[in-house]
Amino acid sequence: MDIDGGIGAAEESSRQMQVRFVTKLKPPYKVPPNSIAIPSNLTRFGLSVLVNNLLQADNEDWKTEPFDFLIDGELVRMSLEEFLLAKGISAEKVLEIEYIKAVAPRKEEEPSLHDDWVSAVDGSSDRFILTGCYDGFGRIWRNPGNCTHILDGHSGPVTSVCFFKPKVENVDDQIVATASKDRTLRLWKIGAEQSLDQPKRISAFKILRGHTAAVQSIAAQPSGDMVCSGSWDCTISLYNINASDSEGDIVSVKKRRKDGEDREFQSEGEALSTLVGHTQCVSSVVWPQHETIYSASWDHSIRRWDVETGKNSLNMFCGKVINCLDIGGESSALIAAGGSDPILQIWDPRKPGTLSPVFQFSSHNSWISSCKWHNKSWFHLVTASYDGKVMLWDLRTAWPLAVIDTHKDKVLCADWWKDDSVISGGADSKLCISSGIPVQ
Amino acid sequence: MKAPRRNGSEKPKNENLKKSLEKLKANNIEEIVKRIEDAEETVVGSSEDSPFYPSSEEYDDDESLSKDDGSIIESGSQQSDLSEDEDSVHSRDDDDESSGSDDDNPSGGNDHGSGDSVSEDEGNDNRHAEDNLGESDDSREIVEESDSSEDEVTPRNTIGDVPLEWYKDEEHIGYDRAGKKIKKKERQSKLDSFLASVDDSKNWRKIYDDYNDEEVELTKEETKLIRRLLKGKAPHADFDPYAPYVDWFDWDGAKHPLSNAPEPKRRFIPSKWESKTVLRYVRAIRKGLIKFDDKPKEEPKFYALWDDSTSAERQGLAYIPAPKPKLPGHEESYNPSPEYIPTQEEINSYQLMFEEDQPKFIPKQFNSLRSVPSYDKAVQETFDRCLDLYLCPRVRKKRINIDPESLKPKLPSRKDLKPYPTTCYLEYKGHTGPIMSISTDPTGQWIASGSADGTVRIWEVETGRCLRVWDIGETIAEVAWNPLPELPILALAAGEDVFILNTKVGSGEQEEKIDELLNVDHQVATVESDTSASIVSWGHYDKHGGIRLKHFKKVTKVEWHRKGDYLSTLISVLIHQLSKRLTQRVPFKTKGIPVSIAFHPTRSIFFTATKKVVRVYDLLKQKLIKKLDAGVREISSIAIHPGGDNAIVGSTDGKLCWFDMDLSTRPYKVLRCHPKDITRVAYHRSYPLFASCSDDCTSYVFHGMVYSDMNQNPLIVPLEILRGHATAGGRGVLDCKFHPRQPWLFTAGADSLIKLYCH
Repeated sequence: MDIDGGIGAAEESSRQMQVRFVTKLKPPYKVPPNSIAIPSNLTRFGLSVLVNNLLQADNEDWKTEPFDFLIDGELVRMSLEEFLLAKGISAEKVLEIEYIKAVAPRKEEEPSLHDDWVSAVDGSSDRFILTGCYDGFGRIWRNPGNCTHILDGHSGPVTSVCFFKPKVENVDDQIVATASKDRTLRLWKIGAEQSLDQPKRISAFKILRGHTAAVQSIAAQPSGDMVCSGSWDCTISLYNINASDSEGDIVSVKKRRKDGEDREFQSEGEALSTLVGHTQCVSSVVWPQHETIYSASWDHSIRRWDVETGKNSLNMFCGKVINCLDIGGESSALIAAGGSDPILQIWDPRKPGTLSPVFQFSSHNSWISSCKWHNKSWFHLVTASYDGKVMLWDLRTAWPLAVIDTHKDKVLCADWWKDDSVISGGADSKLCISSGIPVQ
Repeated sequence: MKAPRRNGSEKPKNENLKKSLEKLKANNIEEIVKRIEDAEETVVGSSEDSPFYPSSEEYDDDESLSKDDGSIIESGSQQSDLSEDEDSVHSRDDDDESSGSDDDNPSGGNDHGSGDSVSEDEGNDNRHAEDNLGESDDSREIVEESDSSEDEVTPRNTIGDVPLEWYKDEEHIGYDRAGKKIKKKERQSKLDSFLASVDDSKNWRKIYDDYNDEEVELTKEETKLIRRLLKGKAPHADFDPYAPYVDWFDWDGAKHPLSNAPEPKRRFIPSKWESKTVLRYVRAIRKGLIKFDDKPKEEPKFYALWDDSTSAERQGLAYIPAPKPKLPGHEESYNPSPEYIPTQEEINSYQLMFEEDQPKFIPKQFNSLRSVPSYDKAVQETFDRCLDLYLCPRVRKKRINIDPESLKPKLPSRKDLKPYPTTCYLEYKGHTGPIMSISTDPTGQWIASGSADGTVRIWEVETGRCLRVWDIGETIAEVAWNPLPELPILALAAGEDVFILNTKVGSGEQEEKIDELLNVDHQVATVESDTSASIVSWGHYDKHGGIRLKHFKKVTKVEWHRKGDYLSTLISVLIHQLSKRLTQRVPFKTKGIPVSIAFHPTRSIFFTATKKVVRVYDLLKQKLIKKLDAGVREISSIAIHPGGDNAIVGSTDGKLCWFDMDLSTRPYKVLRCHPKDITRVAYHRSYPLFASCSDDCTSYVFHGMVYSDMNQNPLIVPLEILRGHATAGGRGVLDCKFHPRQPWLFTAGADSLIKLYCH
């Protein structure tokens, strides 16, 4: 086979080995399935060049694309020779190398500026980005730099935001929830979009009270009926978002009369139930399945709660303060958590009898403020840290796939958006969006 | 008839017969002996009769035999006969040859074994006695005829050596030689026999021979014989035990052993007893009762001369002899050969050499011994030598053989004592001047800091965001967060004022309460006590709201009581009650200028630290409990363990003293770790940690475990040195505080940074 000159120089002094490239990518990315001999000292970059050459041989107007390579389910991060030695794989046989598109941001969007620190971000809706800010406003961004709505109402910094999954595919009716240090949660309705230059200020249609200290985290039920929140008062409260009881109505009527015409209908809600068990600030809650809530706390524990009974079904002691938590990965069961040290730890609660993490990623330099699993992929994670970096991780290698350091200060939140972008907000009051990340 | 039948079988058992007879006789003899002895003791000079009563009675009792007095009463001439009689008893075994004609034995008698025989009348008795007499005469004659030796008298009775009780029930006692029955004699009643014995003066010599059923009277010779025997002498007086030995053996020509008997077999077979002994030893060895120490101790032939060990077995001299001086050679002669004498250049070259390399002696030539000068260094060297001897005896040094590692205290590994703060992850930036003091919110969510730039800031711990800034306009000496979580107010000392401010991080209801609490009328400075009136005035703080306590002097410290109602300020120690707006002096006299103050975490005890000592007061009893003497140059800070029984004190000479107040008033441990002043010490509320920070820009974190067991002393382990602060204006870290719930440490530096160290 014809190999480009860049590799040709290295080829002479090294051994050859037989490989075959396979992929699960769609046809334009497919290379011929016959095996070829390549020098064994090729690294990931060399392999990528090689595959690109192969593809170019078939397709004249091929644009070079970085690839990542998997051997036996592990990403190649050193030269082939070293990799095979380290893993004890025989080089005698024809080696099958699977290639995937390299997971790294291709493009940095223009940062969306806020008035204060961006404390929370949610990208679970494809249409919007929802951010919470220390100035007490939530913001809805249609696309980078284009703020459509400002959620006005909190008297303290917004600490956490979340989208509700729309029950019906009604585009006009999107409900979001925000939590704030003013001890309340607010629910907002986002109507049909207006193509105005000025963002539209909307106010909450419901205020959820009950916490006696700052609300730190919020999570919506997957079905979209309930919301739970973790707070500095060590409790997790569950709220029903739809049922508006009579008491709430009375309150709202009073308010409306007082405030005049420009206020919309606003009701108040109390907590449906409270999960008590944590002894310190509940820093993060996740509601991955209908009946299960995971919570992380400053009391060094991660707990799993059964929503129906309010019982604590799992209590993992981690030995450090946990700031962020997410459930995902293989069959949506792995727990990823980061806290008061630079190590991202991943546990598998299905493993009996052990509380030692199955994966540990420690490339950050400071506290991890946020971690999120990719929605579709079992392997990919994004983390944000106080050292100002956002990192992309693959479970199949211990090195970060990509490091995004567009932030100038602490990164406080990060999330995936539209499956191929990473959004992150930080103490430099910017919402950064890195797009073009090909996670298949 | 039993007896005759047995009589036939009697012959071969002559030996036995004889023995039994001897025994019998011995009994009698014993009896006699007794009597003799008694007689000797008592009778001398008294009547012959009287002493024998008891003995005769005994005789009766013992033998159960009635005596036949009559038969014994004989004329005095029969002594020899009697002796013969006696002898015949002796040697009965001899022969039967002489017995022949003793047919008529007229003696008849009662059952002689039975003690209850009824006595008969005396006349009868006497008659019997005469019979006996005659009979005995007969037998005497026979004996005299037949026997050659005088000792041998054959007995009348021929039953042999059979128990006499066989004849107990018979009327006869046996058979004479002719085979005729010998009748038993009539028995006297005891009374009769007694009376007879009393009458008869010779009764004490009589013994009863129950074999022959007769009484015999011992002759004088016989009693003598018995006496001799009793004394252990030979029975016959004419026997000389010490007769000269006559060697009858003819020794001439006796070349052969005396005995010609062959060697006995036992000489050739192994000894049974020896083998048994050996077996016993073998068993003992197997059981381990006997142990062998086969190996003789090996004495080391050589020893290491220069060995450092000072073991006792080391031999050799106890001192090291001085090295021998070199023998003098030709060059030291007064007139050495010219080749020894150095040239002038060589002597000059010596000057260039180091002093140690220079030769000690430079040969010189003299014409005669007379012209040799005295040794110029003699006095000096003698003096040196004396010094050597005096100061440096050449004795082997005794070194203590201790591993220096073993002297170190055994401390647990740092890994086991996790978690503790190690790394700085968060910084709180915003101040523009040195941060004098920090204080954490009891929930751990906020931290307040006061700086020399005149501002007080409240920070969010989690993110490092500055939540609120108050510009006071004066250097903040101290900030103190109220220890009650539901009362988030802040006390701060700035200049001559103490401000109590609302942090506004509480919930709505709390805010209202606080507002109410902090609402003070403008002009009214409450005057409750006369003493406090002049020193403190309570007022409203217009600029930021809250309360302003105006003191007359600069306030350096503010400390809250655990219940959050009292706070103490330091110029002289004042205690303010927030709810009543009341100020009072400490009710006891404090000596010296207090530097620091602290409330006991659980009880109403108050600590004041002056520059030298820490005084512990009981607030209820209003008296001094303890005086802790730190022994340092100047105390700068104090912290009380949450348990309340331990305290740490930091000093300006960099020493950290741990006091166990139950143990002693002296420091339990003094840790000298900081090269510069310790500015603040702090305990963690729940973790066994304490920390000190210093002007050398470092903070030390220690493990300080206090056990509930009173016998166990606190365990103190240094854990970590936290660096990171930069020095500014000669000052380093000015304050350190632990996070109330996490093992984290906040440090405030003169470089206007607050750092958070996490585990």
